[in-house]
Amino acid sequence: MKRQPSQPIVCMLSSVRIALLAIVCCAVTSVTSAEDWKQFRGPNSTGVSTENKPLPVEFSFEKNVLWSAELGRGIASPVIASGRVFETTMLDKQTFAVMAFDAKSGKKLWQKEFPAGKVPEITPPNEHASSTPATDGDRVYVYFSTLGVMAFNAADGKLLWKQPIAMPHYLMGWGPANSPIVHEDLVIFNIDDDLDPFLVAFDRYSGDVRWKTPRPEMLGGFSTPVMCTAGGRTDLVLAGSGKMKGYDPQTGKELWTCNSLLRTIMTTPVVVDDTIYMSLQSYGDTERVLKFALLQWRDTNQDGKLTKTELEKVFWKKFDKGDKNKDGALVGDEIDAAFQAPSNMAGGGNIIQAIRGGGKGDVTKTHLLWNLDSKAPSNIASPLAYDGRLFVVKKGGISSAFNLKDGSTAWPRKRIRNFGNYYASPIAGDGKIYVTGENGFIVVLKAGPKPEILAKNDMGDSCIATPAISNGRIYIRTLKKLYCIGK
Amino acid sequence: MFRHVAVALLILVAGQSIAHASDVNRVYVVSDFKAPELERFAATELAGQFRRLFQNVEVVATNKVPAAAKQIVFIGSPATNPAIKQAVGSKWPKVSDQGIVLKSVQASGAHALVVGGDTPEATLWAVYELGQRFGVRYMLREDIFPLEKQPLKLSGFDVTLEPQLRTRTWRTINDFCIGPESWGLGDHKKFLGQLAKLKYNDLMLSIYPWQPFVDYEFGGVKKQTATQWFGDRFRVDGDTVGKKAFGGAKVFENPDFAGKTGHDELTAVGIKHARGIIAEARKLGMTVGISISPLEFPREFQAALPGSQVATGLNQLTILPGAKQGPNDKRLKQAVKAKIRAYLQTYPGIEKLYLTLPEFPEWDQHAQPAWKQLSAQRDLGDVTLDQLIATARDRKLIASGKRGEQALKGNVVALAFLNNLFKDESLLTRADGGRVELVVTGVDPALFPLLDRVLPAGAATLHFIDYTARRVAEHKELLALVPAKIVRSQLILTLADDNVGILPQSSLGSLGTLMDELKTLGWDGFSTRYWIPAELDSSVHFLAQSAWHADLTPKDSYFDLWETITDNKSATQRMWLGEQHLQQATALIDKNDIGFTFPVKGMLMKHYRADKLPDWWQEANDHYTQMMIELYRVNGSIDPRATKITFYYAKRGEYVLTYLAAVKATREAAIAKKNGDTEKTIEHLETAVEAMYDTITTVADVATDQSDRGLIAVLNEFAYRPLLAEFEKLLDAE
Repeated sequence: MKRQPSQPIVCMLSSVRIALLAIVCCAVTSVTSAEDWKQFRGPNSTGVSTENKPLPVEFSFEKNVLWSAELGRGIASPVIASGRVFETTMLDKQTFAVMAFDAKSGKKLWQKEFPAGKVPEITPPNEHASSTPATDGDRVYVYFSTLGVMAFNAADGKLLWKQPIAMPHYLMGWGPANSPIVHEDLVIFNIDDDLDPFLVAFDRYSGDVRWKTPRPEMLGGFSTPVMCTAGGRTDLVLAGSGKMKGYDPQTGKELWTCNSLLRTIMTTPVVVDDTIYMSLQSYGDTERVLKFALLQWRDTNQDGKLTKTELEKVFWKKFDKGDKNKDGALVGDEIDAAFQAPSNMAGGGNIIQAIRGGGKGDVTKTHLLWNLDSKAPSNIASPLAYDGRLFVVKKGGISSAFNLKDGSTAWPRKRIRNFGNYYASPIAGDGKIYVTGENGFIVVLKAGPKPEILAKNDMGDSCIATPAISNGRIYIRTLKKLYCIGK
Repeated sequence: MFRHVAVALLILVAGQSIAHASDVNRVYVVSDFKAPELERFAATELAGQFRRLFQNVEVVATNKVPAAAKQIVFIGSPATNPAIKQAVGSKWPKVSDQGIVLKSVQASGAHALVVGGDTPEATLWAVYELGQRFGVRYMLREDIFPLEKQPLKLSGFDVTLEPQLRTRTWRTINDFCIGPESWGLGDHKKFLGQLAKLKYNDLMLSIYPWQPFVDYEFGGVKKQTATQWFGDRFRVDGDTVGKKAFGGAKVFENPDFAGKTGHDELTAVGIKHARGIIAEARKLGMTVGISISPLEFPREFQAALPGSQVATGLNQLTILPGAKQGPNDKRLKQAVKAKIRAYLQTYPGIEKLYLTLPEFPEWDQHAQPAWKQLSAQRDLGDVTLDQLIATARDRKLIASGKRGEQALKGNVVALAFLNNLFKDESLLTRADGGRVELVVTGVDPALFPLLDRVLPAGAATLHFIDYTARRVAEHKELLALVPAKIVRSQLILTLADDNVGILPQSSLGSLGTLMDELKTLGWDGFSTRYWIPAELDSSVHFLAQSAWHADLTPKDSYFDLWETITDNKSATQRMWLGEQHLQQATALIDKNDIGFTFPVKGMLMKHYRADKLPDWWQEANDHYTQMMIELYRVNGSIDPRATKITFYYAKRGEYVLTYLAAVKATREAAIAKKNGDTEKTIEHLETAVEAMYDTITTVADVATDQSDRGLIAVLNEFAYRPLLAEFEKLLDAE
């Protein structure tokens, strides 16, 4: 079933097909792009809807609900293209499912189920159905830890291809939660785990691996790749431990690195024009490298050493690499050597920063436009660049905004009157910012120089997935249900 | 025709050869078809365990031993299973009615294991004992089996085990929504199943006057009150923090009572619910008792009991005898009789009736005549009431000083009343003619030396002594005053006290001390006391094991439990450190502010006062922090079978820290308010609200049962909402 790249006829056919499809895609794009929300946080993961349709202010799980659907458990966000909504979910502890709904009516178009197999340990609030699908309108691409990346026909759910992905492993037991994106004819996907991190691109038609780039300097993290066009060149940008990196999306070759990030990266950057904005909160200070966390949490007997029995077997190879004196225990720098790359001893801290895209090699000194040591960001909710400001929200419902131009504070630490955790990232459209709390309340703010609360809407259940906007409607996934909100 | 016969023969031969081959890996679990139901249940349980424990083994439950059998387990005793009589003959050991037998034998060339006892109950415990010896650990919510199946082993057993404490009582229902009063029958059944595996053999339904578990009429007044949780209601709305734990319900309810209203409807459901619990306990071989407070009535009975007074309990739901009602008050006697008869008619199968003497007696005025009355009935020697009062006043229990005197006097009057009451022997007669055992609960320790002479004839006792196990252990010398060899006596062992409150608690060390005392002094047993089962696995396991083993220490028991299921000694050692931190935190609260998190209205806002922050708060915080760290740490390194449990424990450790942060910020807000600093007050209150919010969501993240949901309801109603209201009031006024 898989196309072999070495077969010239197939390649030729493929080229023709790509050319034809490119035309079709362009045509489709011109019709649908304003209304579609094709991946995690929509267009280029910005969370910003560019359509000019009015969006609802007041709604709830009962009010202004155009339709709703029972899903099963999950925290994957909905994606919408060509009048269809796609979601992933766990129907029960053993069954992973992909679903498609008619965006207008909510009618279920198809559902595909797969035995989940032996799922990995995860740490709540992570769920097994955590990866947001991506779609190009014709196909929908999903990732599930035990199944790999799969492509389905968007119209009927037919499985088109499947690529296994090695099970990721996390020293802190978080579990996987990365989401694919579609760029041109590629499905791009990364796994930054603590064992074997990588970035990979599949041919979106055949599923063939077009390139795979290891990211050995990275530790466990969950950032989604974004695209940044600067100086006429479009780079694939991916945040990871300590470093923001730019890659050639066609080859996977690393183009540049900005060594300005922290160790643990769970947020996704946003791009405005040629600038990449990032907000991070990581535990401890910038000097606090991984070994401190490992000695705190993985040194079971608290003897100040890590032994193999205190780690999962999959990490033993890394352990051996660090165990320089071969005494069967990792102490001090040996721990760093085992798990953290010598060239990337990033620690914790809190930052918000802007990096100009483009460049070559180490751009840390040349492209880092501003970098704030700020306690405003969340460790999981990504920033939102909207209306000239970078908006962030963190635990407790504390919002802050910074001017994109120079990082100056637009407003500091303002309560949006909804306590609790914020795992979903804020989204915006129609001059409004939608801030989703884990408690199921979505606070609507009027975008502007000062925060103005327009409404606080109760969705009735935990909300960890980032909502989606399409065609004047908001699609909200609670833990178990999908709501289409609109008028 | 010939062809068909040939084929049939072939199949038969093949079948036989297959049967013969598979006999090697087949184990027959043999019980007699006429065996008691509980014994047959034991056989089913054993078969189920063997299927999960052993590799390549086919378990066949049967009533007859096949000739070709190579591996056999006999269930029961020579009296109930002829196969055992044949296999063991005169080698059946002499055991008591609770004694367990595990004995390997050879039977007709087969390896055989006898699993049984002289009663069906003992046989069931023998099955569970065997499971434990094969590595199964019975937790409160589930069984943890060994990670990998092992080869079947029937040889090498020659065990007889007798309990050190014969009555191992589990208390249920109780009186707060954080406790089993909120559990549905399904929850109770599951829990009872686990308790049976831990060889608890007695169930006590602790029932309060306002609850909907009985109906009676007296003096023209019909019982009207039927409510749970002291009449408190817990709404679940959009603003309820942690509402995900309630699955969309609009109000927190016991699922069996959902949507029911009014006395008649609630009582009908309540009786069905309680009968269901009793039936399940009986099915599992437990005896059952009901505990009531005989002298306390719902308030509507005030009309029928002139002179009674409203009790000073929560929400003032009941009346107690007043000054005008002496121990010989006829109407009171009739009322108590009516109530007792109603219980015995409603629950005709129970074996015990526990009568609790009032915790806060209001009729101590009659102490002297009551004492005279008791003295006249029994030889109390030359002990005077004044001497006893002096003892009660001078002791170090919570009930000391004036409260001690009041407790003692009230006790004396109540005992005089009960002695009068039970002159009517028919009162304890069941509908089937059998007799219910009377157990008097809560006799004042000053009366311990006279116990056999102040109780109604033949009554047993259940002793409370003080609220926490630590407090009782500190006064363990009182236990020696109980004539336990004359009066059948049990001690209430508090696993987690409602006054210490909602926070995780452990008194494992004190429980060890008390269990040693009970065994040494020849007490009959213990009865548990708790509300939230949460992290009680270690305590419950210890009591279960200690009741059968003379010298078992809490640490031994802890390691037996956790090292087995974590499969990690280092992790268990760290957990043990965490456990000790938990015990120290519990003791700090107990010593310094026993009502610290009592789950009632005002539980948090009582800290909204401008007093200095007590030093012990930080100390308790440090202990809980260490406990949480140890649990999170081991969570990443242990067998996945255990991580679900340790993660749950760790999250509960986390919630304590935010709760304590909320308490601290609330106190700081009050101090700022007193200093006239509104901005600071709001800032602290904001911190408190956020911390309380986090507290509740942390509990909700791992909520697994009705007690957890009850805790979320309590935290919303009694902590978060009043705090938020104060915060918003100040914010709006700013």
